[in-house]
Amino acid sequence: MNAEMAVAKAAGVAVRRAAFWWCVALGAAVVATMAFWPAFRGASGISQAIDSLPQPVIQAFGLQDFGSPAGFLRGNLYELLVPLLFSIAAVALVNGQTASDESAGRMELFLAQAIDRRGLFVARLVACMVALLLIIVTTIVVQVVADALLDVSIQPGYVIATAVLCGLLAALFGSVAYLVACLAARPSLVLAVGIGLLIGGYLVAALFPVAELLKPWAVISPWNWALGGNPLENPTEPWRLAALALTSLVLIVVGTAVVTRRDVTAP
Amino acid sequence: MAESVLNIEGLVKRYGGSVEAVRGIDLDIRAGEVFGFLGPNGAGKSTTIRCVLGLLAPTAGRMTAFGVDLVHDGVAVRKRIAYVPGELRLPERMTGAQLAATIGEMRGGFEVGRQHQLVERLTIDMERPIRSLSTGNRRKIALLLAFASNADLLILDEPTSGLDPLMQREFLVLVREAKARGATTFLSSHVLSEVQHIADRVAVLRSGKVVASGTVDELRRSARQRVEVWFEDQPSVDEFAGIAGLAEVRMDDGRLTAVLTGSVQPLLQCLVKHRVASILVEEPDLEDAFLDLYTAPVTQ
Repeated sequence: MNAEMAVAKAAGVAVRRAAFWWCVALGAAVVATMAFWPAFRGASGISQAIDSLPQPVIQAFGLQDFGSPAGFLRGNLYELLVPLLFSIAAVALVNGQTASDESAGRMELFLAQAIDRRGLFVARLVACMVALLLIIVTTIVVQVVADALLDVSIQPGYVIATAVLCGLLAALFGSVAYLVACLAARPSLVLAVGIGLLIGGYLVAALFPVAELLKPWAVISPWNWALGGNPLENPTEPWRLAALALTSLVLIVVGTAVVTRRDVTAP
Repeated sequence: MAESVLNIEGLVKRYGGSVEAVRGIDLDIRAGEVFGFLGPNGAGKSTTIRCVLGLLAPTAGRMTAFGVDLVHDGVAVRKRIAYVPGELRLPERMTGAQLAATIGEMRGGFEVGRQHQLVERLTIDMERPIRSLSTGNRRKIALLLAFASNADLLILDEPTSGLDPLMQREFLVLVREAKARGATTFLSSHVLSEVQHIADRVAVLRSGKVVASGTVDELRRSARQRVEVWFEDQPSVDEFAGIAGLAEVRMDDGRLTAVLTGSVQPLLQCLVKHRVASILVEEPDLEDAFLDLYTAPVTQ
C-alpha cells in the first residue's frame, strides 16, 4: 500500500497546478455569470423574448423560466457550461495521468518498482478524482456565496445537489477516459472518446426530447440521468446519483481488470 | 557455483503476431556478478529487460529472479530490483528531490546518508525541476535512484548514455561497490569499453538471439587475429589453404599473411615443417570481435 500511496501523492502534486486553474476558471465563470443576475431578476422583457422562441429551442437550451433564479442558473451555468467544464477537466486530468504519461515513457520508472500496474493506475485515478472533487467544491462554495450575496432566492440544497450531479457526470466521463487509457495508451484516442461521448451525450439529452420519436431514448444519455430531473427546482431522485456512480464504478473496474493484459507502451 | 539470480529460458517476444524482437533467449546470471548484455541498437536488449520487469508480456519462455517466477510474482520480486531505463523519461514537473522521495517511499525508504552521499558524488542539483535538467543530469538522477536503493539486482539499460567521462568513471566505481556488497548487475550497453572494464561475463545479442556468451577473455580468444609469417624457404600457399581457422591466406615473396580465428595449434603444426624466420600474431582486437558478432549472419 505504501507504493500506491506514494504514487497517489506524486500524482496529486502533478495535478495540483491544473486543478488550481480549473478551480479559478470555474469560480470565475460562476462569478461572471452571477454578476448579471441583478439585471435579469424580474426582467419580464427577457422572459417574454425567450418565450417567443420556438418551444423545442427553449427546451433544448434549457431556457425555461429564464427570469427566475433556477431558470437563470440552469440556462447560464448548469444546463451546459458547468457540467461540460467539469467533464472536460476530468477527461483531461485522467488522460494526463494515464495514457499521456505512459505513451511519453514517464510511467516506466514507476512501473518497474514493486507496484502492481492496476494499483498504479487506480492510485493515479484517485488523485484525479480528488482534484475533480476540489473543483466541484470550489464551484459550490462560489455559487452558494454568490447566491447569498446577490439575494438569489433558491434553496442551497438544490444548488449543491445540482453541482454534485454535474460532478458525478464528470466522474463518469473521466471513468470513460480511464477505461480507454487502460485499453490503449493513446492520448488522442482517450480524448477523442472521452470528449466525443461527452458531446454526443449532451446532444442526445438536449435534442432527442424535441422529436417525439426520439424522446423516449433521451434517457440513454448520462446527461439526462444527471440533469433530466431539473435538480435546481426538484429534489434529486436517488437513482440518478446511483446510475452515475455505478456506471463510473463499472468502467473503473473493467479498466483496472484489463490494464495488465497489454504491454506498457514505450516511446 | 553462485546461485542463480536471474534466469531466462527460451524468451520470445513477438509484437503484433509478426515482428519478433526476441527470438529464444537463454541467460543465467549468477549472484554477485556483473553481466554485460551487448548488442547493436535494435538487437532486443531493451525488450528483454522490459520483459524481465513485467512491462512487456513475453510471447513464450520462462523468467525467474531469485527463484521467483517473474510473470506471475513479478511485483514481489521487484522490491529487490533497481532499474535504470534506457529511454529515460522522468516526470518533468517534479524536482529530483521529490522524485527520490516518491521512489524511495515506493521502495520502503532510501537510507538518507546514502542518498546524500550519492548526490554529492554524482553532483546533482536535486532542487531543480527535472524539465530544466540536461540529459546527463537526468541520467544521474536515475543512477541515484538505482544505487540508493541497495537493491540485490541492478538492471541498467544504457546507463552512461549522456554522461561525461568523469561521471562514466564514477559509474564504474558505483558498480564495483555494488558488486563488493554482493549485488548482481545486469548491464545492457552497446559501449564495449564500458562493459569490458567491469563485466565478469557477457552475452552478445543480435537480431533477438544470443550469438555469443562467455567471459570477456573467452570472447577475445575467439576473435580474429592477423597472422604474419616470414619463411627462409618458399612454401606453397596451397599448404595453408585448408588449415582450420585460417582465412584470407596470401603468400607474397616468402611472407604469409592470414587471419586466424580460434586456436593457433593447427597453423603451428604446419609451420614446423618449414624454416620460419619470424612470426607475428597480433593481439586480438576485442572491438573487431564484437563488430564481427554484430554483423555476422544470424542462424535461424
